Amino acid sequence: MSATKGQSQPEPDPHAPPQLETPSLWQLMMAFLKIGVTSFGGASRPMMHRESVEANKWLSDRDFIAGFALAQVLPGANPVNLALYVGLRARGVPGAAIAVLGMVLPAFCVILLMGYAYRELIAYPATHFVLAGVAGAGVAATLATGAKMATKLDRNWMTAIIALAVFIAVGVLHISMTPVVIVAIPASLAAAWVTDKGARDGR
Amino acid sequence: MDDNRLLGLILVFAPLSILSFGGGQAIIADMQHQTVDVWGWLSANQFSDLFAISRAAPGPSTLIAALIGYQIAGIWGSIIATLAIYIPSSIVVYYATSWWQNHPDSRLKRSFERGLGPVAIGLLFAGALAIIESGPITLLMLVNLALCTAILYFTKFSPYKLVGTVALVFLGLNLVGF
Repeated sequence: MSATKGQSQPEPDPHAPPQLETPSLWQLMMAFLKIGVTSFGGASRPMMHRESVEANKWLSDRDFIAGFALAQVLPGANPVNLALYVGLRARGVPGAAIAVLGMVLPAFCVILLMGYAYRELIAYPATHFVLAGVAGAGVAATLATGAKMATKLDRNWMTAIIALAVFIAVGVLHISMTPVVIVAIPASLAAAWVTDKGARDGR
Repeated sequence: MDDNRLLGLILVFAPLSILSFGGGQAIIADMQHQTVDVWGWLSANQFSDLFAISRAAPGPSTLIAALIGYQIAGIWGSIIATLAIYIPSSIVVYYATSWWQNHPDSRLKRSFERGLGPVAIGLLFAGALAIIESGPITLLMLVNLALCTAILYFTKFSPYKLVGTVALVFLGLNLVGF
């Protein structure tokens, strides 16, 4: 699809079809089931890179990195989005469906078992006590991630005001998320558009 | 009754799917608001419990939808909720991927990359507050929260090992009569 680009460059086009391999849907399914099973602890991104770029040449490194950025920016769980992207690039819509299924199915089965155990164990007071502690650790993970992400935002007043306004509206005032983001996202996009640095260089 | 609940699950999770910028953390506050206050399916305590389980489980944090679905409508509830949380966002990703490939570096793309960040961060902290509020707020819980946050922010300690450690510590505290 980008065959017209890079023809004038001396190095080989990373999109050139002979270098890449097309997996069968079965191969895709097996690879993503493996990733889904082994990605306990959130290590799915390196696993996906290994399976789709290093071990099998389903897509180029550059394509993988672009997909990784996309998966983060777009709505949806990042690992699931990335699986969808890899499956889509490798085998179109059926490939995307199969990659997502393989990615989610193992974790889905585990979480169902845990949900079942919860129903059985909720009668014991200790269950709720232990889970409250675990929820604390879970919130801590969210706070630590949020703090790290916040350091990567643009440092200007608009960014701080938008983040704070969204937090107060949804977190403190308990306003429904939908109306809040319907106002906040266009405002934030407009602020980013106005302050875009690349536009000055004509990009 | 059950059909109403399955339909309700779709009505709650499908819109949240499209709004889940930055993954599942951004929609936790609204998920709690919808399932506890608006639809009355869960108590605040139950929601906090399910959140804890979803954090201890493998896989993306959005799989909390499967847990909530299972809790209120059994196996079918979990399947419907999971489909509702993944299909709408997947359709967005599908169309965005096609668009992205034709616009490698545009002002609009850069604006999206930078502009969604502040909104996602605000929602993420709102979600953290919702979970803190729905659990017991005691000195022990606040110390636990502060310690865990410091460990995860300043060290490379794995969140999964931390969750396991905290579970064992709280089990021990429970045995000695906390």
